[in-house]
Amino acid sequence: MSEIIATLKKDYIYNLMVKGKRQDGRGFKDFRDIKLETNVISKAEGSAKVTLGNTQVLVGVKLQTGTPFPDSQDEGVIITNLELNPIASPEFEPGPPREEAIEMARVVDRGIRESGAINIKKLCITVGESVWIVFIDVHILNEDGNLIDASCLAAIAALMTTVVPNEQHGIGQNVPLAMKELPVGVTLAKIGSKLMVDPSLDEEAVCETKLTVVSGSDGAVAGMQKMGSASFTETEVLEAIDMACEKAAEIRELYLESLVRQE
Amino acid sequence: MNDKPEKLIADDGLRLDGRHADEIRPMKIEIGVLSRADGSCYLEWGRNKILVGVFGPREAHPRRSQRANTAVIRYRYNMASFSVEDRARPGPSRRSIEISKVSREAFEPVIMAELFPKTAIDIFVEVLQADAGTRTAAINASSIALADAGIPMKGLVTSCAFGKVDGQIVLDLNKEEDNYGEADFPVAMTQDGEITLLQMDGNLTPDEIRKGFELVKKGCKEILEIQQAVLRKKFETPVEEPEEEAEEAELEVTETEPSLEYATEAAAVEEVIEEAEELEEELSEETFEACAVDEEAPECEKLEEIIKEAEAKVVEGEVIEEVIEAEIEEEAFEEEAEFEAALEASFEEVSEPEETEAFKPEKPVCEEMGFESETEEFAEEAEVEEEPELEEEAGMEEEPELEEEAGIEEELELEEEPQFEEEAGLEEAALEETPESEPEVESEAESRETAPAEQAVEAEQEPEEEKSRGPWKVVKDPSESGSRGENDE
Repeated sequence: MSEIIATLKKDYIYNLMVKGKRQDGRGFKDFRDIKLETNVISKAEGSAKVTLGNTQVLVGVKLQTGTPFPDSQDEGVIITNLELNPIASPEFEPGPPREEAIEMARVVDRGIRESGAINIKKLCITVGESVWIVFIDVHILNEDGNLIDASCLAAIAALMTTVVPNEQHGIGQNVPLAMKELPVGVTLAKIGSKLMVDPSLDEEAVCETKLTVVSGSDGAVAGMQKMGSASFTETEVLEAIDMACEKAAEIRELYLESLVRQE
Repeated sequence: MNDKPEKLIADDGLRLDGRHADEIRPMKIEIGVLSRADGSCYLEWGRNKILVGVFGPREAHPRRSQRANTAVIRYRYNMASFSVEDRARPGPSRRSIEISKVSREAFEPVIMAELFPKTAIDIFVEVLQADAGTRTAAINASSIALADAGIPMKGLVTSCAFGKVDGQIVLDLNKEEDNYGEADFPVAMTQDGEITLLQMDGNLTPDEIRKGFELVKKGCKEILEIQQAVLRKKFETPVEEPEEEAEEAELEVTETEPSLEYATEAAAVEEVIEEAEELEEELSEETFEACAVDEEAPECEKLEEIIKEAEAKVVEGEVIEEVIEAEIEEEAFEEEAEFEAALEASFEEVSEPEETEAFKPEKPVCEEMGFESETEEFAEEAEVEEEPELEEEAGMEEEPELEEEAGIEEELELEEEPQFEEEAGLEEAALEETPESEPEVESEAESRETAPAEQAVEAEQEPEEEKSRGPWKVVKDPSESGSRGENDE
């Protein structure tokens, strides 16, 4: 996101890449340390905070009742919003969301929607009249690269801990949100000719372009987005997909499946 | 639209609109449809109707958006409120902002923005009618509009989507397939197959993606051919067509010689050469006259000779002054003084005749030829070059070691002569330049003369061009196309 980086640093990162190394000593396939906390905001129906290196992302899920879309009368509605809070970076400004924020929100949304993470049929209260609207609000608290993977992980973790507040509305008992799939987003940065997962802030500034791949537990891809002003070759894309699916499986096993057992 | 058809792909493998799985919808492209835009394109792809206007490179506003080393590329994807079934709210939606961003990034690798620092290149996309695949259609149209605007690009960008419908990978989804299909995968690529846009939503396995890439490459290749054909129609000047429609006698003659495809051009070139030769003769006569004028002014030469001598003496005087100063400082070394005396003598010998010889004949000629400033420069150079050398020498003389000095001085003396010779050589060269300047002037005149000749050739060709442009009916603004056609030649 940051566009300004010292040429010296740029050369340094590039030269490290040539040697197969990274600035913080990681391998090309290594994520930074991930810390996941859930139920951090008790007022929200579901919440999660993800710390990825120094990147901090907080997701709160709120549920409200509303009318369904005319073309999907028996389905709940998912609305994802992402805010680049000015607290997170000197480069973020208050005001309407920038295109980066909108893009990231839509990529997170697509991952959840297209993978069928939420069983939206179960969010229907009365067909054609009343359904649950799930608001997924992503707050970036500290930017240190790879916001999108942190946001994806925090969003799905928050959804996993979400309770549908039926009691508030007098429509039965509170139930956990029905989940069907655990999509995990993995972003790969292309520096020179190499692909590396989980780019740090500096690596994001140096990289030519990024590719985010959101994949489900069956190894199928649910969403992809190329970000940045350079190109990929077909081989690189296919390599990225394989790498992303592999890393997504690891993260799912390490962080999300433990949440399932807790429930 | 509300009801999902039972089957999106019939048992015979054909899709709802009768296409095969690997077939794209019919595409129609018009180029140069807007007169105020620098480049424009109207594209119909299936039921999609897209209009693109390109403006720039132009000054970027606001100024803080300017980039010191490159142009900023701005891409605005906008859907008309009437372009979809339910009226869309005018203005940018989150969807259109995202599409604008990824589409801009699809063009950034190919547009040579670094050629236009501090400017903006604006690509405005209006979706007039949407029927799935508008972002890919918009990219295809933008590519053409950018080419129409003459923006340097490394290649055309071509875009096409694949998707999964009824479990089958198909190319270029239509609205029904998009609504009820399982995946949509828009891709944009350059002519070399570099992927500049890649998005995906739905559910695909890596193997399906591999299969899809093959389809997309095929689709993009077909689209590229359409794009190239459209650009050729507008920008290529056909060679044979003028011969077919020839009316003028000259052109008929060329027709009778079918082996000489470029007969008209060859004739034109010959004409130009003849004219140039005539001109050469004329000019050489003129220069002779000019030379004659020079000879009539020997008095001027003499005057300048005297001035030169006087100047040379002033220079000598300065040198002598310095030498004297040095002598006063180093009275103890009498022998040195002898050397210096010898040196002075040598200077007189060397500088006087050389200078006068060098400057005398050159000046008047040059003046007559209008090279005053040059000769002045030469004179200045000569002065400048002389003085420091002499001063240096005086400095050298101040050194106490006699024997070495003597050696150095001798060397210097020796060196000096060749230097002067060199200068003289330069001046001789300058002298030679005067005759040389003849061809220069000629060549200028020649080019001046060839210009009208070229114009004549152009004038001959222009009407043909218009005729040949007629049947295409691609261009709606003749003035614009005219200028572009000429530039292309």
